[in-house]
Amino acid sequence: MSLLSVRNLARRYGGNLAVDDVSFDVMPGEILGVMGANGAGKTTLFSMIAGNVKPSSGQIMLEGQAIQGQPPERINALGVARTFQIVRPFPGMSVLENVAVGAMYGRGRIASPAEAREHAFALLRETGLADRADLPASQLNLAGRKRLEIARALATRPRLLLLDEVLAGLNATEVGAALELIREVRERYGLSIVIIEHVMKALMRLSDRIVVMHEGRKVVEGLPAEIANDPRVIKAYLGERRHAVPA
Amino acid sequence: MAQILSPELLLAALMLASTYALVALGLNLIYGAMRLLNVAHGDLMVLGGYVAWSGFTLLGLSPLLGLFGAMLLAAGLGIACYTLFFKRLVRNTAIAARLEANSLLIFFGVSIILQNLMSLVFTADARSYSYMDTLVQWGSVSIALNRLVILGISAGATVAVLCFLRLSVFGIAIRALIQQRDAASLIGIDADRINIVVFCLGFALAGLAGALISMTESVTPFGGFPFTIAAFVVVILGGLGSLGGAVAGSLLLAFVEVYGVTLTSAAYRSILVYGLFILILFVRPQGLFGRKAN
Amino acid sequence: MARTVFSSVDKGGLTVAASLTGVAALSPLILSAYGVGVLTQLCAWIALAGSWVAFSGMTGYISLGHAVFFGLGAYIMALGWQQIPIVAILPLAGVAAAALALVVGFPALRVRGPYFVILTLGISEFLKYVVVAIEASLGAGGRLLIDTPDTVVLFYPMLGLALAATAINVWLTRSRLGAALRAIREDETAAATVGVPVTRIKMLAFAVSAVIPAMVGALSVLRSTYFEPMQLFSPTTSFTIVTMAIIGGSDRPAGPILGAAFILFLSELLWARAPQTYMILLGALLIGFVLLAPSGLSGLWARRRSASLKRRAVVGRPA
Repeated sequence: MSLLSVRNLARRYGGNLAVDDVSFDVMPGEILGVMGANGAGKTTLFSMIAGNVKPSSGQIMLEGQAIQGQPPERINALGVARTFQIVRPFPGMSVLENVAVGAMYGRGRIASPAEAREHAFALLRETGLADRADLPASQLNLAGRKRLEIARALATRPRLLLLDEVLAGLNATEVGAALELIREVRERYGLSIVIIEHVMKALMRLSDRIVVMHEGRKVVEGLPAEIANDPRVIKAYLGERRHAVPA
Repeated sequence: MAQILSPELLLAALMLASTYALVALGLNLIYGAMRLLNVAHGDLMVLGGYVAWSGFTLLGLSPLLGLFGAMLLAAGLGIACYTLFFKRLVRNTAIAARLEANSLLIFFGVSIILQNLMSLVFTADARSYSYMDTLVQWGSVSIALNRLVILGISAGATVAVLCFLRLSVFGIAIRALIQQRDAASLIGIDADRINIVVFCLGFALAGLAGALISMTESVTPFGGFPFTIAAFVVVILGGLGSLGGAVAGSLLLAFVEVYGVTLTSAAYRSILVYGLFILILFVRPQGLFGRKAN
Repeated sequence: MARTVFSSVDKGGLTVAASLTGVAALSPLILSAYGVGVLTQLCAWIALAGSWVAFSGMTGYISLGHAVFFGLGAYIMALGWQQIPIVAILPLAGVAAAALALVVGFPALRVRGPYFVILTLGISEFLKYVVVAIEASLGAGGRLLIDTPDTVVLFYPMLGLALAATAINVWLTRSRLGAALRAIREDETAAATVGVPVTRIKMLAFAVSAVIPAMVGALSVLRSTYFEPMQLFSPTTSFTIVTMAIIGGSDRPAGPILGAAFILFLSELLWARAPQTYMILLGALLIGFVLLAPSGLSGLWARRRSASLKRRAVVGRPA
């Protein structure tokens, strides 16, 4: 049984269909990559799944339960966490506090602030932020903020994690470290992960399956190797990457 | 009951609507372009009223000339406020994060300062004057000339500003800024200059409205508040940032107010204005023409 | 330095607070009636500013009409005086204010945007005219309250309210609810995304912030013995509350105390002689603090304390 089931999802802005009749499933424990040029509708898709945006039509089911149109806090309580493409830490709060909020109000719903702090600190250790725990979030560099975003999302004990371009803006070393982290996280928590990425190499290496979007529609879905050589995909990327996966 | 259907009442409602449209336009410009809520808007109107009154009583100047003085003073105040306060607010990263809350507080402070300054200078006595209050006959309808003038100038100024925004280069830049702030700066629109123009225009419109109203209503230092409220309600009714919507909103509010007060009493004015506001918030928070916030 | 959401119990601060309270409690023995009156007024302002901070300071949703709860409490006391015991009127006022906050806050707090501010800006006016209309229909212009308790008797409950407001703010700095409020202020969308039930929490905090001001209003009208709606729902009260909170610092529990003391001091100097100048000064101070010292007097104090502690640590002297 699929963990997440998206059926005919659409979102209209005025005359513009940002997301057009998209359907796919996410299996428990799998990493699903989402690819597509800018404006393909990927982030809007995430926003609808996480509840930040209401779909114009279509259904989203989490383990059979319909969640489309619910507010984000309700969907988070059911087990969906997301990161934002442009990171949104709580800038005036410390790194530890950022994560602790997630621990207190996510699916784990820890009532005691002290316990939440402990749980948060453990997560900081896992994501390599423990040394910066008391720093205000605004003082982290970009790579640190991306890790914080992930740590905070993890604090909410999700079953499904939506990662929106967590690799953007990172240098090669940071990308490698981030990929490691993502794999570890999947192992440790048995999460399903849906990841939007532009860094194609990374996406191909990480994902079990890939969905390609173009102008709001799902164009192709399949294994990384299939996608890499699919003429439709290559056409959609128009000469940017003739060889999607290095030989 | 025949009074309800009288053309005098209709004209009164239209006059109020045109004034509200003018006031709301100024407010909407500043909010739309910079997301700043000018809580001192009504007090700027009162300032305009005092300029017109002073011009008339002390210099014998017709309020129709006085209103230029009002607009100039208000615009000057706009430049001062922007350069002294808001520019710094936007630059200083520590407080820019809570720009809306902080700007609110600043405008709140400006409002109190203006009110009390005017109270010091002009005392709390109500100031009024008579100008053009001869009655004009139009068929069976008689209306004071100054009310017609107010209606004409307000409506004319509103249309002029809307045309400016639609047709002139500057105006288009302002609308671009309102619609998409980040994109606008990307295509080279100098946000700082636009902001100053927006402040000047917004403030000047308030001064103009106040100068016009002073012809028919007395001016008191603390009398701006109800206008600030009404302006906000109009802007919300029409949809935040929607300039055309503000016109629709002002018609709606003016009609509810004028006819509501006639049916009940003047004491219910606030209750009606607020009732309408709360109703809209329950039913359609984005206003009649606003975009739904995500 | 990050303002910690979970501050550990500040032993020093607690001792100071306890001693101040003790001194205050004993002060009626030494002060004149006028002095006790001033102290009562100080406690009232601390309670009002402290309650404002608990919601507006914490969430960043600026309430510009908080006087409405004050006035409502005063009205309920004026209506119920000598018919219902004070012990019952006070909680009644609190509950009524909380209910008003919920009813009025709901449409405004469930949507993003400046609706809440605009609403609070006029809700004082709204209720003022409702009360004026009600009173007019009952044939009363204002209400005189007779046989009200002595100032000294009113001082202690007012002190209690000031303590309660401060205690709530201290609790918020260490509690789960406080963390949620802070998160809402920092980034409401992100907060919702990590599971914070933003609307429910905003409404809860708003309702809580209404209770104490209502009780302060109820006690204040006993002090002044006269209920007059135009006066008691005055925007000046709302403005003073906001200014005290900002000058004192809306980030720390000590802020409202410092702010109230500072402004009460100013008003004792200026209000009687030059009320407009006093208000202009307040307006200028509000703007000045927002631009130059956004964390208020308590923030400046905390920074000096931590700077001097650091200096001592560097030099090696015991802290």
